[in-house]
Amino acid sequence: MTVVIGFEGSANKIGIGIVRDGEVLSNPRRTYITPPGQGFLPSETAKHHRSVILTVLQEALDEAGLKPADVDCVAYTKGPGMGAPLVIVALVARTVAQLWEKPLVGVNHCIGHIEMGRLVTGARNPTVLYVSGGNTQVIAYSERRYRIFGETIDIAVGNCLDRFARVIKISNDPSPGYNIEQMAKKGKQYVELPYTVKGMDVSFSGILSYIEEVAHKMLSSGQCSAEDLCFSLQETVFSMLVEITERAMAHCGSQEVLIVGGVGCNLRLQEMMGVMCEERGAQLFATDERFCIDNGAMIAQAGWEMFRVGQTTELADSWITQRYRTDEVDVAWRD
Amino acid sequence: MASRNSSSDAQLEFVLEVPFPSQREASIALQALSPDQEPRRRGITKTLGASACTLSAKWTADEARILRVSVGSFLDHLALVIETMDVFGQPVLQ
Repeated sequence: MTVVIGFEGSANKIGIGIVRDGEVLSNPRRTYITPPGQGFLPSETAKHHRSVILTVLQEALDEAGLKPADVDCVAYTKGPGMGAPLVIVALVARTVAQLWEKPLVGVNHCIGHIEMGRLVTGARNPTVLYVSGGNTQVIAYSERRYRIFGETIDIAVGNCLDRFARVIKISNDPSPGYNIEQMAKKGKQYVELPYTVKGMDVSFSGILSYIEEVAHKMLSSGQCSAEDLCFSLQETVFSMLVEITERAMAHCGSQEVLIVGGVGCNLRLQEMMGVMCEERGAQLFATDERFCIDNGAMIAQAGWEMFRVGQTTELADSWITQRYRTDEVDVAWRD
Repeated sequence: MASRNSSSDAQLEFVLEVPFPSQREASIALQALSPDQEPRRRGITKTLGASACTLSAKWTADEARILRVSVGSFLDHLALVIETMDVFGQPVLQ
């Protein structure tokens, strides 16, 4: 049996999870929630993580019923993400790895999402849509790499949603995306927004600028409601994501789609993707908020795969990096 | 302690020495704190080392402002490492 503890803190969530051969033993998490209209800044987020990380670590061990001696390997997020929060998490991971005399594994955050999604859903070789506050990529596996077929050319889809939420002061608790999703259910009219698919890629910054410019005018003149804007934004950006996912599937001859990342727990996105899959006779795999949203277990799971094929990280090489592309990782654990 | 030379291209210097209960702990702190580079590449250098039970850090910087940010951030990180050792260091030693 191989037990891996995973540390994640690349954005506003701090999570520590323990995985033993595909079984999640514990996965506690805290979220840094900012007031409506405000995003999370690196140094404030790092302070939040700093204040709770040791408590979360103790919870992870207690819930799993394990002692440090039972752990075989310490995995942590090497990148991509915000520098200051990444450093906090890496510091604790490096320290406990040495205290407990366990090897360290630096994990690519995106790979963590993919491997967790594969574990939880049982998808074998899916086309992956990875959608979160910091990333938007369509990925397919080929010859030991997760290859990026399409991605955003500017901001992530989740960043577009988060920033729209700030414009009309939607609460960030539990997350702006969740609140947009709930409001969108009450939307009655579709407001036309720019639709920006460019080949295999997508762009969201123009949509955000447009909606930022018109939102207050339309709301104050009663042309539409905030719910209508939530609905219209979701329909537009999710259609774009479904379109590029379908195109990637056609290229790869794939019959499986896996949605991962924080935006992936949006049920409307899952529903739209499901319709496309049904039309193609393909199968959709998605997970709920426990595993879609950043968490420690996903880093533990990717770390488990890496550790089992001997990919460990020397302390001297354990620096964090804000930029770390999905296709840089040698996926030695897959055929 | 910080000091300034009289020459025109004067550099600020700051030396910090942190005593640990044992050589092992000083070494753990050194290896936990060493990997990440300064976010700012120019205008400041930081060198870490450990001998026996002491962790040492030495900075040279062009401006006090940059030095303060770097030292402040280092002390925050050091405090986290020490706290982690206090809370999670025992089981293996037993």
